[in-house]
Amino acid sequence: MGSQSFSDALGVDYGALAPLLIVLGGACVSVLLEAVLPRVRRRSVQLVFSLAVVVVALAAVIIRATSGAGDVVVLAGSLSVDAPGLFLWGTLLALAVPSVLMLADRSVEPGGVFVADPEALAEAQERVGAGSLRSTSSGLPSGTGTDTHGVVGRRGGAGPEPTTPPEMHTEIFPFVLFALGGMLAFSAANDLLTMFVALEVLSLPLYLLCGLARRRRLLSQEAAVKYFLLGAFASAFFLYGVALLYGYAGSVRLADIAASAAGPLRSDALLFAGLALLVVGLMFKASVGPFHTWTPDVYQGAPTPVTAFMAACTKVAAFGAILRVFTVAFGTTALEWRGVLWAVAIASMVIGTVLGITQTDLKRMVAYSSVAHAGFILIGCLAITPAGLSGTLFYLLAYGFTTIAILGLVSLVRSGDGEAGHLSGYAGLAQRSPVVAAALSFCLLALAGVPLTSGFTAKFAVFSAGLADGMAPLVIVGLVCSAIAAFFYLRVIVLMYFSDPAPDGPTVSLPGPMTTVAITLGVAVTLLLGVLPTAALEWAGAGTFLG
Amino acid sequence: MSPTNYLLLSALLFSIGTVGVLVRRNAIVVFMCVELMLNAVNLSLVTFSRINGSLDGQVMAFFVMVVAAAEVVVGLSIIMAIFRTRRTASVDDANLLKY
Amino acid sequence: MQGSAGLTAYVPLIVMFVLAGGFALFSVTAAPYIGPRRYNRAKLDTYECGIEPSPQPVVGGGRVPVAYYLTAMLFILFDIEMVFLYPFVINIDALGLFGLVEIVLFIGTVAFAYAYVWRRGGLDWT
Repeated sequence: MGSQSFSDALGVDYGALAPLLIVLGGACVSVLLEAVLPRVRRRSVQLVFSLAVVVVALAAVIIRATSGAGDVVVLAGSLSVDAPGLFLWGTLLALAVPSVLMLADRSVEPGGVFVADPEALAEAQERVGAGSLRSTSSGLPSGTGTDTHGVVGRRGGAGPEPTTPPEMHTEIFPFVLFALGGMLAFSAANDLLTMFVALEVLSLPLYLLCGLARRRRLLSQEAAVKYFLLGAFASAFFLYGVALLYGYAGSVRLADIAASAAGPLRSDALLFAGLALLVVGLMFKASVGPFHTWTPDVYQGAPTPVTAFMAACTKVAAFGAILRVFTVAFGTTALEWRGVLWAVAIASMVIGTVLGITQTDLKRMVAYSSVAHAGFILIGCLAITPAGLSGTLFYLLAYGFTTIAILGLVSLVRSGDGEAGHLSGYAGLAQRSPVVAAALSFCLLALAGVPLTSGFTAKFAVFSAGLADGMAPLVIVGLVCSAIAAFFYLRVIVLMYFSDPAPDGPTVSLPGPMTTVAITLGVAVTLLLGVLPTAALEWAGAGTFLG
Repeated sequence: MSPTNYLLLSALLFSIGTVGVLVRRNAIVVFMCVELMLNAVNLSLVTFSRINGSLDGQVMAFFVMVVAAAEVVVGLSIIMAIFRTRRTASVDDANLLKY
Repeated sequence: MQGSAGLTAYVPLIVMFVLAGGFALFSVTAAPYIGPRRYNRAKLDTYECGIEPSPQPVVGGGRVPVAYYLTAMLFILFDIEMVFLYPFVINIDALGLFGLVEIVLFIGTVAFAYAYVWRRGGLDWT
């Protein structure tokens, strides 16, 4: 068999695969850059390179989407590049731009979140004027275990040198690109094995990113351990689900599972046991309902830019996969399993709302709000109709940008040693920094779903799709939860505008250009999608999944 | 021997792993239990491959093995990092993050 | 005829055995001539099995030897990639040039990681 015919049989469509290949290839090159570049140039080169990769991949998605090329299934049926898939890819890559900017920023915190050696940096800042600021990073990031943190006396320069910026763990850039590549593959995976591998490719870098902060190191590492152990646990469930479905259908392709389920010959025990286990793994990643336990701890403990990336992009990828699995593989049996997931959606909305009210830390509050939002998004996923699909896609886009903006703003409000996470720190913020307070209020209103913000349009789209598909009780629970959740968003706004600031309260850092761009982008998209949602809604509803 | 027995064994191993994750306190042991779960899945993949008469399941077991190896490396480095700062690998001692 | 045809199938296996044995013999004989000779006390000591117990870490102050751990992890990572080479070799004829290019790309990906580990000191045993 000739090589040409074999690659044809595989279905290697480079045009369709371009965004994925660019991101994953870029990640590999980024690792190589990490190896060969001298230390002082790593950060700037890596930043420009990563941004370029993301932007080029985004351009490839847009070109593909506007070229009118049809939906294709590529690589022997393992990936499906269809209209909703392209929308998800576009959303992920668009969210990656502000995420990368925030990760790379060093203006908010001296040396950035991922500074390699904070103690050395602090020492050097005390000796400002003495010149040599040249902390040396150790070999590998803390994750791989060779570094000797806090070793004193590794200062470089013997004489007065020009002040070089402090170093950071530039490994974050390849990590982000690998995670992004995994997310792209996850949301386009057309068979369960690809989905599993993509799940791990997206998860493993995220586990490491969570643990890389050197200030407040214990919190960060604890978040990483919790996320890792629970994540590995959940992916084992996912995998057992895959195995059972393979036993049921004799194939892991989503379309084949649907075809087997349509035949009356097999016992349903394997099918539904497999679906249940699969759903546990997927719901964990999307931080839905009772599988959310990792979310608050990890959101709080991880460095804030990582939280932003994780909250926005993982949710998009996970719900993309959930939509695809529900629609393509289990659309024909929806009547039999949907009731159980009603319960999950209700649990998610109620848990997120009730526990969100009791939180006193803003990042934890955002985490519980994300659990509640996951419940809302699940309503859209359960309505296996074109309206449900487009509503969910729009919701993901809107929610991602709002979350990134909120977490960017949270990273600006700082007390002595780090972020002022506690809500009391936000008292009277409007007097200290009207702009930050206004932007934060706007984003919180978007999460609450107030008209003229993207949150309203998104909720409306999802709820109306649910109602049209006969899920009235679920929608009613959703509305009640939205109303209750609005209380805790409004509480923060009231706190910021109508209380007096504490005399020793936190300060508001002036963001550097990169964080400013990221936050502005998030706020602007939130406003734009609220005022003029038509174009995005049309694109989201442009097509259906290809099995 | 009927292949179904292997499926039962696999389910049993998976359950042992699950219980281990839930009750053990040392992060390394918890992690080993997760690995046990993954390998239980491998057993059922191979068994289903035999029942279905296709090779896909065996190839999938390869992928699972590779992914598990990568997971081991990442997991152990995270556990290592926290051990070096806290001097303990107990999951109960990591309790800074809570409401 | 039938019997000899059956035996011919084993010729590559025998050649492999001969090659393996030859390599082992060559290594053992060549080592004294081309290897460096450095003697120290430990080398001339009587052989005893088991390792000497290392000093126990004092609470909070001791060190965990991570060098072995890191090397072991790296070994596992690079070793497990073999899993994919095996099916490739079995099907090399069917996969053709396309498969070859793909597997070279795959090895290249692993090589990138190797370059990173090497340049950043992951292979230094200290």
